[in-house]
Amino acid sequence: MIRPFRTMTASVALALGGAFAMPVQAATICFAFQDLETEFWVAGHLAITTTLTEQGHTVLERNANEDANRQFEQVNDCIAQGVDGIILIPQDGESATTIVANAQDNDVPVAVFNRPPSDLSRGIVVVADNATIAEQAVDYIVDQALANAGSDETLNAIIVVGDLGDPNAVGRRTGFYAAINKHAERFNVIEVASNWDAATALSNLEAAVTANPQVDLLFTSSDFLFPTIRSVFEPRGLWRQRGEEGHVWMAGLDGDATACQLIKDGYVDATGVQDLFFEADAALQAILQAIEDGETDPNQVIEDPGFALTADNIAEREMDMWGCVLLAEGFLD
Amino acid sequence: MRRGYLDRAGTILLSDYFVLYLSLAYVAVLIPFLPVLSTPANLSNVLSNMWPLLVVAIGQTFVLTIAGIDLSQGSVAGLTSILIAILIATAAPEQVLGHTPVWGWLLSEAGGPLAGVSFGTWIGVGIVLAIAACIGFANGLAVAVLRMPAFMVTLVGLIALSAFAIWLTQSNNIRNLPDDFIALGKGTLVSLFFGEQYQAQLPRREVHAFVTWPMIVALSVAVAAHILLSHTVFGRRMMAIGLNREAAEISGVPVRRIIVMVFVISALCAAIGGLLYTGRLETGRPTLGGGNFLLDVIGATIIGGTSLFGGKAKILWTVWGVLFFVLLGNTLNLMNLSAFHIDMVKGGVILAAAFLDVSRQRLRRSRT
Repeated sequence: MIRPFRTMTASVALALGGAFAMPVQAATICFAFQDLETEFWVAGHLAITTTLTEQGHTVLERNANEDANRQFEQVNDCIAQGVDGIILIPQDGESATTIVANAQDNDVPVAVFNRPPSDLSRGIVVVADNATIAEQAVDYIVDQALANAGSDETLNAIIVVGDLGDPNAVGRRTGFYAAINKHAERFNVIEVASNWDAATALSNLEAAVTANPQVDLLFTSSDFLFPTIRSVFEPRGLWRQRGEEGHVWMAGLDGDATACQLIKDGYVDATGVQDLFFEADAALQAILQAIEDGETDPNQVIEDPGFALTADNIAEREMDMWGCVLLAEGFLD
Repeated sequence: MRRGYLDRAGTILLSDYFVLYLSLAYVAVLIPFLPVLSTPANLSNVLSNMWPLLVVAIGQTFVLTIAGIDLSQGSVAGLTSILIAILIATAAPEQVLGHTPVWGWLLSEAGGPLAGVSFGTWIGVGIVLAIAACIGFANGLAVAVLRMPAFMVTLVGLIALSAFAIWLTQSNNIRNLPDDFIALGKGTLVSLFFGEQYQAQLPRREVHAFVTWPMIVALSVAVAAHILLSHTVFGRRMMAIGLNREAAEISGVPVRRIIVMVFVISALCAAIGGLLYTGRLETGRPTLGGGNFLLDVIGATIIGGTSLFGGKAKILWTVWGVLFFVLLGNTLNLMNLSAFHIDMVKGGVILAAAFLDVSRQRLRRSRT
């Protein structure tokens, strides 16, 4: 387990180090995160802490263990400790709005990484264009599903929705419907709530598949749910590779190592990729620049355009996806 | 001579102020290593973290006094949080909340039914407190009349009410709460600046809130609870029930009525705490009161000295217990420990407090 962790650290530092050279003096940064449940958060956490530490900054890490009130208190403690800036991965968009406003009211600049506040007008917000990325990934599997179905056949499509209190989940759902609605008459859509929780996703997906045994297409709002989906699909004969009879066309979003492996293996067909290294780099540059400039309430939205990695373009674009980079480093070994 | 020291130690251990002394000693030991501990900013944080927890812990103190326990407090806080938000929110996004069971008849894009109504916030607060009182009444009836174990009754409440709160908004949070309600959770009456004024505009970071609305609410609840518990017949009857329910019944104490009222008080305190947390986070959250919340509430109450066996409690003890518990969390944060380590330490401290409770019982018995 140690080897992949070390190599991941190296690759992350390398990925950020090339683009990142700030003149700022050593600063104390509070890094408050809600948890490290998914590969995306683990890699993001590592990218940020490694880069800051290697540049000589002090990082105060605060893990709220998925408790919004605890995160609020932890950030207040950081402010009392006199930190120069805060990088926040909030529990949800609502608590992010409150915490960002609170930090700025105390003249501490704050950058929100990947999970945006419901109010985007305050703070440095680095966020993926979730709707567009999701639409690109779903467009691909919709086209494939329709090409492999009869011309008058109605297909069952499942979307595993995230926590709709999180603007990321809302954007991904919007992107899914933007793609599906181009062929609305051909799809019967079944929504499965996950609330970003694997156990919730498992029970709701089992119920949905029991009620609708014929599944033609599935989009999960986060790649971290693929193992859960597999555990539901496999016993029902729905976990099949491309080209096999009964293959369910599947796409996700995040771009993690598991999704990369599953696309290579032929079980998953596409995933929307958030550029983790770009997002971490952008958050760090922006917060350190604000500290350097003495700016206490910088407000800026930095968008990660992202892209869709598909079974068709994986050969050319594999190394543009952070999960494939980690996979190549042996992350899943 | 040795006996004298032991006697004095025993007296301190049995003192009403034991946990306060413990807190002061704890701070004194840590200050050289954590100078930030005594800064006004940190003291302001400790106080701010203390008030909502204190209100809920006061309710738990009442239940523990009658040798019961109320595990439903967290879910009552969560339900309260989401109900008040549904009632008074000034706007609600259809994209997020349009698929919830309350959409259309209770909540709409224009907000809740009390949005824009004169005194709407306070009417809403009254409604949710009444609902909380009904929950407490149901818990109390099950324990007092049906003689069901409090642990089981309130455990069911914990599960069912929490699920109901999550179902109401399908796990979504509700923002856009009115300013007067947010002030209830974080409004400041007196802020202090320590130091020399060297510029026209005081740096906001160095102005610290000390007297806040949550402080007023929590201290009001504490004073009322102290009078009720320590200076009324009701309080003495509670103690009697906690010491020996059968003996209290034979002595003519209206045991059932008292038990029902105690659970109503507990639910009301949980609801008030839930309202303070909701205002503080500016969001109605169905998951409020989940996670380790109960650990904090029961832990703080027991550390204060309220006996798990019933019949022995003081609100002052709970105040010191909450102070110590909040200080503990705060200092562990300042030591840069992870959330997991903090919870492990908290668990150990609660275990130590339970052991201390047993030791104090023994000591008290040996002295009488």
